[in-house]
Order: sequence, then C-alpha cells, then structure tokens
Amino acid sequence: MQSDKEEYRSVCDILDKLIVKQIHLMEEKMCSELNIESCINNGSIHLAKSRYIMGQNSVSTSKLPVENSPEFSASTICEGIEEDGLTQFKVAESNAENTVNPLHWFGILVPQNMHKAKNIFQNSINFVVECVNIQVQLIENVKNIVILKKYKSMLNP
Amino acid sequence: MALQSAVKGKLISVIGDEDTCVGFLLGGIGEINKNRHPNFMVVDKNTAVSEIEECFKRFVKRDDIDIILINQNIAEMIRHVIDAHTAPVPSVLEIPSKDHPYDASKDSILRRAKGMFNPEDLVR
Repeated sequence: MQSDKEEYRSVCDILDKLIVKQIHLMEEKMCSELNIESCINNGSIHLAKSRYIMGQNSVSTSKLPVENSPEFSASTICEGIEEDGLTQFKVAESNAENTVNPLHWFGILVPQNMHKAKNIFQNSINFVVECVNIQVQLIENVKNIVILKKYKSMLNP
Repeated sequence: MALQSAVKGKLISVIGDEDTCVGFLLGGIGEINKNRHPNFMVVDKNTAVSEIEECFKRFVKRDDIDIILINQNIAEMIRHVIDAHTAPVPSVLEIPSKDHPYDASKDSILRRAKGMFNPEDLVR
C-alpha cells in the first residue's frame, strides 16, 4: 500500500514537471510565431516597395512558376534529425544542381528592396523551423501527459 | 547521451496568400518536381475551400514534404481537416499573414495543449 502511495506521489511530481514544461513550450511557441509575424510584415513592406518601383503586377503570383514551368529544386530544405525518438528539424542548403535564383522570376535588375525581402524571408525560414521544433516537443509533451494521467487514474492513493 | 540519426533533407511547402507565397519562394523553398507538382499554393479570394482542402491533403500524402506552412486565416477555412491531422510528420505550422496577425486562441496545437489544463483533471 505504501509503495502505491509513493508511486502515486511520484506520478504527480512528474505530471507537475510536464505541465510546467508545457507552459514554457507554449510561451516559446507564441514568441516564435511573433518573430515569424514581424519577419513577414517586414518582408511584405519591402515587397510593396518593390511593387511601387516596378509596377503593380511585377511582383505578383503571375511571376511565380506554374505547373508547365521547367522543373527546378528547392535551394532551402529542412533536415530531420531523430533525437531520442523525437524528430527535430534544421534548415539546410540543398546540393541539387537544378536550383534557381528566385529573384530572376521578377527580372534581372530588381530593386534593392527585393534583395532585402529575400534576406528577410530566408531569415524567417529559420524562425519557422525553430517554431516547428517547439511544436513537435509540445505534441510529444501532450502525449506524455495523457498517458501519465491515464496511469494516475489507475492508481489507488 | 542522445541517440541521433540524420534523415535525408525534405521540402517545406506553403499554402498562403500572395505575399506569403512570393516571400517564402524568394527564400528558396519553392520546387516543381519532375511530375510538375509544385510545393506551394497561392490562395486568393476566388479560391474554393475544396481546392485548399484538396491541396492540403495532397501535401500531407507527399513523402518528400516535412513541413507544411499555412496562413492562419486559410487554416480557419479547413479547420476540420487540420484538426484531423495528428501525425507528427509532416508538421503543420499555422503562420500569420500581413493582413491577419497571429491569434494563439485559433492555433490547433495550442488549443490541444491548453486542453491539458482542464481544472477537473488536474485536481484529482
């Protein structure tokens, strides 16, 4: 009986730790989302300035490749690393040969703002991957809490 | 000592408004593969919800995609499909757009995580 009580207490302790971890992860995810938001806002301002310089339709969907366009590979990819059963991602440069410079879709001599927008969005990919990693940890933590709660309900204090 | 094993690099796909797609494609995540399938979808006011849903399901099925980025306001349109996706890979990340700031109360993952704080569950 004593051991049951001790086990119940230790399960409660672990649950407390997981809940605290949960709160921290939620806060981290929100901060990361806000970083992405500020990157997207800054990048969008530079895209708008480019539109002002080059013309309304010069920076639009119509310039993006479509299904009939020649195939090309992404220059920025993500690599998954399995760490203690948890997949964590990191940004990587692709070594494929058929990558393209996306700036060329919008012209050869594009304004400085397009270069700035490109840098900002490249930076935002790092925030995106960081946010995904936090999200993966958060989902794993939720699973652990659910399992532990079920186990706790089976114990008799 | 953590056990680590590296996996081959995979794609980041995006479903978003014009600026989000143009921006992330400028960042270099865009690809058109040999089957002529792009890893991005631009959503405008004329795009049908069924098209977005279909595209999301197609991205989920593709084994060369690890991360799906979707604007939160677009995710709201296909919330039932996003909530039904519980597999860890591909990871679905809801991102804000220039017109729609991030709202934590709408985020699928945060809502699931907040569900753990049900007071009745915690007391016992």
